[in-house]
Order: sequence, then structure tokens, then C-alpha cells
Amino acid sequence: MSARSVDAGRLAYYALNGAIIAFLLAPIAIVAVFALNPTPYISFPPVGVTGRWFVKFFATDDFMVALWLSLRVAVVVLLLSMLIGGACALALARGRLPGARFLTAFFMSPLMLPAILTGLALFQVFQLAELDRPVWGLIVGHTLVAVPYVLRTTLAVLANFDTRVEEAAASLGASPMRVFVEVTLPLIRPGVIAGGIFAFIVSFDQFPISLFLVPPKGETLPVVLFNYMKFDLDGAIAAASMVSILLALSVVLLLERVIGLKAYVKL
Amino acid sequence: MTDHSLPASADIRLEGVSKSFDGKVKAVDDVSLAIAPGEFFSLLGPSGCGKTTSLRMIAGFEAPDAGRIRVGGADITDVPVHKRDMGMVFQSYALFPHRTVAENVAFGLRMRSLPREEIRRRVAAALKQVALDGYEDRRPGQLSGGQQQRVALARAIVIRPPVLLCDEPLGALDRKLRQSMQFELKQLQKELGVTLVFVTHDQEEALAMSDRIAVMNAGRVEQVGAPAEIYDRPRTRFVADFIGEINLFDGTWDGGRFIAGDGRSLPATMNGARPGAGAVAVRPEKARIVAPGEGAVAGRIESANFLGGQVLYRIAASGDRHMLAKETNMGAAARPVGTEVGLLWNEADAVVLEG
Repeated sequence: MSARSVDAGRLAYYALNGAIIAFLLAPIAIVAVFALNPTPYISFPPVGVTGRWFVKFFATDDFMVALWLSLRVAVVVLLLSMLIGGACALALARGRLPGARFLTAFFMSPLMLPAILTGLALFQVFQLAELDRPVWGLIVGHTLVAVPYVLRTTLAVLANFDTRVEEAAASLGASPMRVFVEVTLPLIRPGVIAGGIFAFIVSFDQFPISLFLVPPKGETLPVVLFNYMKFDLDGAIAAASMVSILLALSVVLLLERVIGLKAYVKL
Repeated sequence: MTDHSLPASADIRLEGVSKSFDGKVKAVDDVSLAIAPGEFFSLLGPSGCGKTTSLRMIAGFEAPDAGRIRVGGADITDVPVHKRDMGMVFQSYALFPHRTVAENVAFGLRMRSLPREEIRRRVAAALKQVALDGYEDRRPGQLSGGQQQRVALARAIVIRPPVLLCDEPLGALDRKLRQSMQFELKQLQKELGVTLVFVTHDQEEALAMSDRIAVMNAGRVEQVGAPAEIYDRPRTRFVADFIGEINLFDGTWDGGRFIAGDGRSLPATMNGARPGAGAVAVRPEKARIVAPGEGAVAGRIESANFLGGQVLYRIAASGDRHMLAKETNMGAAARPVGTEVGLLWNEADAVVLEG
């Protein structure tokens, strides 16, 4: 191969990577530009830099109530899906259950269904049960679609898990319970937490399911933003989006920093 | 579970132990063994022979379908793993990747709720024993394979188990390191006086390290004996063939003489063999190369492999047979390929095989 063709290949490689990164980051860049542009409607090119949309976002009670609700729901969903997804993964990988493959596919199925169908179905269930869209119903709906993420990452860790490590612990005098607490749990933790981060973001960003399950005056942030957009399309929407992105990013970074996700798991 | 009440080593008895997986082929088929206290005992055989399953039943990771297992006289067949008080070393090391070297070694002592000061002291002593003092704060991922296996060894011996079980512990190491670890492990075992059960498929390793060896095949014990006995006096065709290289002859015992398939009488003494069909075997180093007319069998040198201290000749005999003969390298040039030669051995060096 000549030096020139190597260079051409390398160039194409960089160009492709650049295009992918641009494709992924462009929407965020556009939102950032709109969030900082002072015109009272979304327009291009920007005419200046202002913080007024962030001020408006944080000063609007409707936004703040919704943001607070979304955060609380996402944290509960994070915890629930780690618990349920982690336990399911352990049972599926270790339990010698008949039909484990089918069960895995079944638990993963909320990922295959359009979320709007899941939302509609849950809405009808709550109607039939004569429940008036309680917050826990919303949490159940989010958890349903969040669990598969934890399940998948935890199963990935368990697939590479050397069970001899647990046997070694048992031979050293650890009871089954202590083996679980001292060895199994710490070793699957990165997988559970990686899935938990996905679960948090899935809940925090959740729109189609929330749309069906939130009562009036009890809406999550994505629903409030959607309703707001129907009448106003100013920079507050962009500012809200920026805040959401930064919140999600800080959760990921925080967990990464605290737990050290990269330590034992390659995802 | 206090280790002070236990002797430094214990005997192990397997009594008619069987195990099958999924109710199909018997992985271990009616195995009985008596391992003496302080003995270095190897379970040797090809993969699938049942050696690892036997070890795992002693450890308590598998429950036998039939038979009893006794350690130090006590029946432990139904005792769970964590109450058996045995050290275990795995081929894959099985260190806790999320803990430091010192924490790994301390694990068993922590499970025994020993005082912190004693744990610290014994961890330091165990690490010194495996020449890893100074590595306390490393993580397993930062160590070489040999170092990791030393940590695993320290972790197993620090609880002062009366029995140490090793499942191909040196299998993942390169040859050079393996040999030095063989020496160290043997040394350590003698120092501690612990009963050591060692699983390996490597016959050289088993011969070099063991006090006694059980050769296993298809779930059964073929022969138990000291290394020299196993090598010089294999009882079955399988043992003869599995341990080292050997020349096998099928034939019949007729009036105290062994008649090979081609009608020649071969040097061998009957030694209690039953008259009728039988087999004898001769190690390559016991076969002398002589002139074609003087040998018990004759053939032509097909290849000469220089092994350093010895030369291994492959000799093509009549009837598409091949034989092996080893000569010590005394500095002379190897015999040329194509030379017609005879092979001869002492009657006493021909091993009589059962079936």
C-alpha cells in the first residue's frame, strides 16, 4: 500500500468520525445558542448573549415544581430499577431457572415496545382500577422501561464473572450470605450502577409514558415543557433543555467519580 | 472453626465416591482413596477424567451422589464449604479483584473474626512466606500471573488449614516460572506439614512434586503409587501410555514366555500374569540399541530427536510398528537415520500390564 493511499484512508477515517461527532453534538450546540440568544423567539443567527432565559426558567414556579418532581421521580426510579434489575439479572444468570432465555427476553421487552403504547396501556389499567394517576403510578411506569437497562448491564458483568472467586470466598469460611455481600455485590456493582444511570436518564427524560400518567398540576418537566411549547417558543425552552442536559451529565460524572465505573467493567 | 483446635494436617479418605452430572456419564465412578496426613498427593489424568470433580467434592463445591468423604476421621460429606476449613488454590487464581493484596490474604481471618492485630501479623507473615512482603497495597490487577498465584497461596495458607487443595495451580504460568513455583510449593508444603491434594494433567509435574499419585481415567482410579512406582511399574495400559513414552507389545503368555503378535519371544518375566493374551511395555530409556541380529526386535532408524541430555530414536519395525529408544548423549554423534538396528532390554525392565 502506498503512503498516499494510507493518508487517504486516514483522512476518510477522521472525516467520518468528525461527521459522527458533529451529528451527535449539533443539536446540543443549537440548543445552547438559542438558550443564550436574547431575541424573544427562537431565531438564527444569534444577536447576542444573555442569561435572561435561564433566569426566566428558574423564576417560573411551574418549571421549578416540575423539575423538582422529575428529579424525585428519577431518583426513586434509579433506586427501584437497580434493585429489581440487579435481582432479576442474578436470578436469570445464576438461578438455573427453566426458560431463562425466554424470561430474559420478556424482561427486556419494554425496550421493544413503543413507549407510547406502554403509556397508553398503563393509563387504561389505572383507569380500570379507578386510580387517579398517583405519583407512584408514574414511578411504576418509568421503572418498567428503566429496568431493562439495569438488567442488560448487570447480565453483561455476570457473563464475565469468574464464579471461582465466590468459591474461594466460601472456602475461606464465608457463609453464602457473606459471599454475596463481600464478593458478589461489590463485583456486580459497576454494572448495576451503569444501568442505574441509564434508568435515571430514561426517567428524567421520559415523555410518552409520563404524558398518559401525570395528573394536571402534577406534571413532570418534559410534559410541562411540551405544554409550554404549544403556546410559547422562547429561549426558556432551550434554557430548560440545557439545565436537563447538565443535570444528567453531572449525575453521570458524579457516579463515575464516586464509584469509578471503569474500574472493573467494560461496557 | 478455630484453627487452633485442629492438627497441622489431616488425613483424607474417599470411600466409594461417585458423581454424575445431569444423571448421565459418571464423572467420578466409585473412587476410594486414602491420603495420609502431610502427604503431597496428586490426582493426575487427562481432562474429563474426574480429577477436578473429585477435588471439588473434597472442597465441598460438589456433593457426591454416593460414598462418604472423611477428613481427620470426621465425616464431612454433608458439611457446607465454608465450615470445612480447607485452603483452596485455583488455576484462575480467583483473587478478589476489588481488594488489595493484604485484604485478599486477610479475608479468611476476617471471616473467623480474629482480632485486628493478629490478622495484621499473620497476613504479614503469610506474605513473607510467599516472598511478597511489600506488595500489601497492590491490587491483583497490578501483579504478574506468578505473583497473583502467590497471593492466592498466601490467602489459602494463612488460615492454617489442615488440608490444602490445588486445582492446576500452575497451569496458567509459563514453563520457567512453573518449575520454580513447583519447587517453592513443595518446599512450603513440607514446611507447613499440610496435607496437599494437587490436581494436574501434567505428568512431569506430578512426578516431580508428589509423594504419591493417583492416575485417573474415565472417572476411575487406575493406579495409586509413588512417582517411581507409577513410572517404572505401571499396572494398566492406560497408565503406561499416559505417563511418559513407552513401547507396548500385545501378545500371549505361553509356558512362562511372552510371545509377541509376530511370533517372536520377547524378554519378560511373567510376574503373576495370567496365561493367555497379555501385554508388556518397555520404556525407551530401558531399550538398548544393538546390532540388528542381536535384538529382540529389529527395525530401521526413522528419526533421531536431539533432546539435549538424550537422543530419542524412532525406529520403524516390521508390520507398520514404531518403537522408541532413548540413549544418553555421551558426546558422540547421533546414529544416522536409516541404520538397521535391533532393540534389546533386560527381562526385569519389561513391565507386565493387566489387560
